[in-house]
Amino acid sequence: MKTDDLVSLLASDAGPVEPASFARATGLTALAGFAACAAAVLLTFGPRLDLAAALATPPVLAKFALGTSVAGLALLAFQRSLRPGRAAAGVLALVLLPVVTVVAWALAVLATQPMPAWPALVLGRSWSVCFVMVSLYALLPLAGLFVLARRGAPVRPRLTGLAAGVGAAGLATLAYALHCPEDAMPFLATWYPLAMAVAGGLGALTGPRLLRW
Amino acid sequence: MSLDDFEAVLHPAFMAGLEGDSAAYRRFLDLIGGRLRGFLRGHLARAGLAGAEEAEDVLQETLLALHLSRHTYDPAVPVSAWAHAIARYKLIDHLRRSGRHRGHLPIDDEALSLATPGSAASDAKLDVERALAALPERTRTLIDRVKLKGGSLAEAAQAAGMTETAAKVALHRGLKAMAKVLSRRGTRTS
Repeated sequence: MKTDDLVSLLASDAGPVEPASFARATGLTALAGFAACAAAVLLTFGPRLDLAAALATPPVLAKFALGTSVAGLALLAFQRSLRPGRAAAGVLALVLLPVVTVVAWALAVLATQPMPAWPALVLGRSWSVCFVMVSLYALLPLAGLFVLARRGAPVRPRLTGLAAGVGAAGLATLAYALHCPEDAMPFLATWYPLAMAVAGGLGALTGPRLLRW
Repeated sequence: MSLDDFEAVLHPAFMAGLEGDSAAYRRFLDLIGGRLRGFLRGHLARAGLAGAEEAEDVLQETLLALHLSRHTYDPAVPVSAWAHAIARYKLIDHLRRSGRHRGHLPIDDEALSLATPGSAASDAKLDVERALAALPERTRTLIDRVKLKGGSLAEAAQAAGMTETAAKVALHRGLKAMAKVLSRRGTRTS
């Protein structure tokens, strides 16, 4: 086919297009992904027994803040990465800010404690559950984000996958915080960021293959 | 023409196209097509692949991708940067698929502005033709008719005995299916 013929063909399919509706889709997908995570947490573990009382305490608020800021920044980068020509890596790198903040906070806590108390503060009673489950819950929003990404134009699929994975883990963090009974800062600063790294790695690894277009 | 001057004519044509103005949209496709042809030829030549036919194949796949990705355009970036990023992706994908992508392609905005626009089209190597062949016959006939009628969907629909709405839907689906066939061609399952 001549390029000229192709051009007339494409021009004859020039119906109106509204880019703004695509921008809203990331928000809706994230909301649905969070709802799925929260439902899964409440069904498998139930909320922590003292949730009402703990809701306004610094450790729970810190988990919410960590989950919200990481999810917000990563999903912003994710959305930008679906729009060719838009830089996204810089926004994604900002995710390190909240992570570094909780790590610094955790180190400050450890500094006030005698060394023998450290393992208990870092490992808590449920480190493996937290780490494994947050990574697993993250798969729910991650699947939705990948479906959405296929409707976009990810010209850097590895970056899109990384941002989707980290963002999904941020949403999972927010949901798991409803259950997570651990209130030690060193615990929070270790296992949540590790789960985010795992989910982000998974996204980055599978993105180039699953998001080809 | 500098990149800024180019953007100054490209942007309004594209924006009018987004609102459904098909004459303006055609102008956009012609403008960006000429520009990207130079860009793709230049890069394929530098990769040691001088075939103008190959550049035309990648160009056609890129134009199809631009068309189907119009909703991903972000008003915060120049239209030429958006189109360029897609062309770059399709070029790398093309080279990788044929196993000739070595490392990173140093492609930046400068490459687009240095591209010599306006060189004449050459024949494509049949890739789009092959994608067309994978479509259901009814869609293929419709596409042939639109081509024959110089891009008039209304006349083509009439000739095919379809309503214009049905023809519109069939054409759009057909183009999507073609893009899918193109992006899967030569995929190695390693």
